[in-house]
Amino acid sequence: MQPLIRKFRNTLSRDRALGVAKGKRRYDLPLTGGSSNSLLRLLIGLMSILGMLALAASFALSAMTTRWEQGLADKITIEIPASDSAGEMIAASSVQGMTDDAAKIVGARGDVLEAEIMEESHVLELLSPWLGEDMVMDSIPIPGIISVTFEKDTRPDIKALEAEIKEVAPRARIDTHENWLSEVARFTGALQFAAILLGIIISVTTLVAVAGGVRSKLSENKEELELLHLMGASDSYIAKQLQRHTLILSLQGGAIGVIGGAVLLFIIGMVAGNMGVNLVPDFKLGGKQRLMLVLLPLPIAALAMLTARFTVMRVLTKMP
Amino acid sequence: MIRYEHVGLRYGIGPEVLEDINFQLDPGSFHFLSGPSGAGKTSLLSLMYLGRMPTRGLIQMFGQNIGELGRDQLAAMRQRVGVVFQDFRLLNHMSAFDNVALPLRIQGRPEKEIQNNVAELLDWVGLGDQKYALPNTMSGGQQQRVAIARAVITRPRLLLADEPTGNLDDEIGFRLMALFDQLNKMGTTVVIATHNQAIIDKFGHKRMILEKGRLHIEEPTKHGLRKRLEGIY
Repeated sequence: MQPLIRKFRNTLSRDRALGVAKGKRRYDLPLTGGSSNSLLRLLIGLMSILGMLALAASFALSAMTTRWEQGLADKITIEIPASDSAGEMIAASSVQGMTDDAAKIVGARGDVLEAEIMEESHVLELLSPWLGEDMVMDSIPIPGIISVTFEKDTRPDIKALEAEIKEVAPRARIDTHENWLSEVARFTGALQFAAILLGIIISVTTLVAVAGGVRSKLSENKEELELLHLMGASDSYIAKQLQRHTLILSLQGGAIGVIGGAVLLFIIGMVAGNMGVNLVPDFKLGGKQRLMLVLLPLPIAALAMLTARFTVMRVLTKMP
Repeated sequence: MIRYEHVGLRYGIGPEVLEDINFQLDPGSFHFLSGPSGAGKTSLLSLMYLGRMPTRGLIQMFGQNIGELGRDQLAAMRQRVGVVFQDFRLLNHMSAFDNVALPLRIQGRPEKEIQNNVAELLDWVGLGDQKYALPNTMSGGQQQRVAIARAVITRPRLLLADEPTGNLDDEIGFRLMALFDQLNKMGTTVVIATHNQAIIDKFGHKRMILEKGRLHIEEPTKHGLRKRLEGIY
């Protein structure tokens, strides 16, 4: 048994020495080993992590915007101010009466799913961040607020409704949340743009680092490169070796990056949960999104591979 | 087959190292290239193996004007030329076997053919037991034999050698010259740059003599020609 194993080992090592072990990783240039390979692997790993974080942030922002938009799409808020046009306080009972009348008008409509007068305590709760917890209720005019939810996909004439309500409450205002939503959209748009910008920076950094790495590899092995060229190796033959080498390193780096990125996202999710950050309630990455995150190193590796090819071809054009 | 007309070569903005070179090598011819050090032998060889492009003149190889060839065509042309460099230029990260196999792999030959041919040639040059050795563990003479095997493994149409017997003892030197001669008889055109007057005299071939960047061709010496006709070596 022992001699058989030895023989098998010898055959393997001989094949390896020959470079004919159907050697999927055989290179004519001495590309394997060296610290530059580890550096490239690490760099691609880090780029993958950054890319995953940017992409995950982009998914979360997108989900946040969509939920807010959907949540407010069929809703309006009617406010009955607690002061008249001269700024004088209106009696609370009058405000209550106008609010009830307005609610009746709204409730009578066929396209309204729900019209709810907000409890005074709830209104105070909403105002407390601005006015403080210990405000004196009697000294502050509390407006009447009606939250209205329309049937889905109805397009109510808000102006007509406002005119109708103004007959019972002349200073009533209707807030369709458009302003707020457009500000939210602008804000999330800016954040998403930042995520895209980060993606571009990652791509450019990968490109520059890979091009630099390939150039230094080629200048390290200038004599070997020249020899291959003189022996009739085409530019494409030489480029393929560097391409494959870069692709393998990038995929290895990418795999490390995916693991690192997944751990980081898990930690961020946990920390955000513990801190009570609840901007996107119950936000979880979907199957497709997870797949996209896991596959993110592939385009990075492809970019690295193409950069390697382009760099080698450029270097080779300097040879006759 | 190979024709040079008014070929000149200069490095950068320096003077011409080769001036107005004119010659023609017929298929299957054998020439020694000689001349004093610095005469331009290595430069002329580098033009012949397409390591450089001339700064002027016309070069035709295998019926094609090299100035009109694209990069891939030039690569294919280089595959038809075998070169033994003076400093061997072996790849130190590869075994002797892989070094010799390299031109075949570049040509995309089947692995089985590579295995058979390389092993056979290494046996022939006396390195059958050194197949898996790395070049930097071999002696100068052994490295030179690997370099020669690598140059001839593809049976090139043109074989160029720069001082190929420099590190070899006389016996192996003459044996290798006999190999070159055999390849020549099989139709390979051979040009050997050498200072070795004994070899030049012994083998009756034409001489390309370079002096101060200019070339002239001399017929074989009577002594060499007689030996060649007598088939002494």
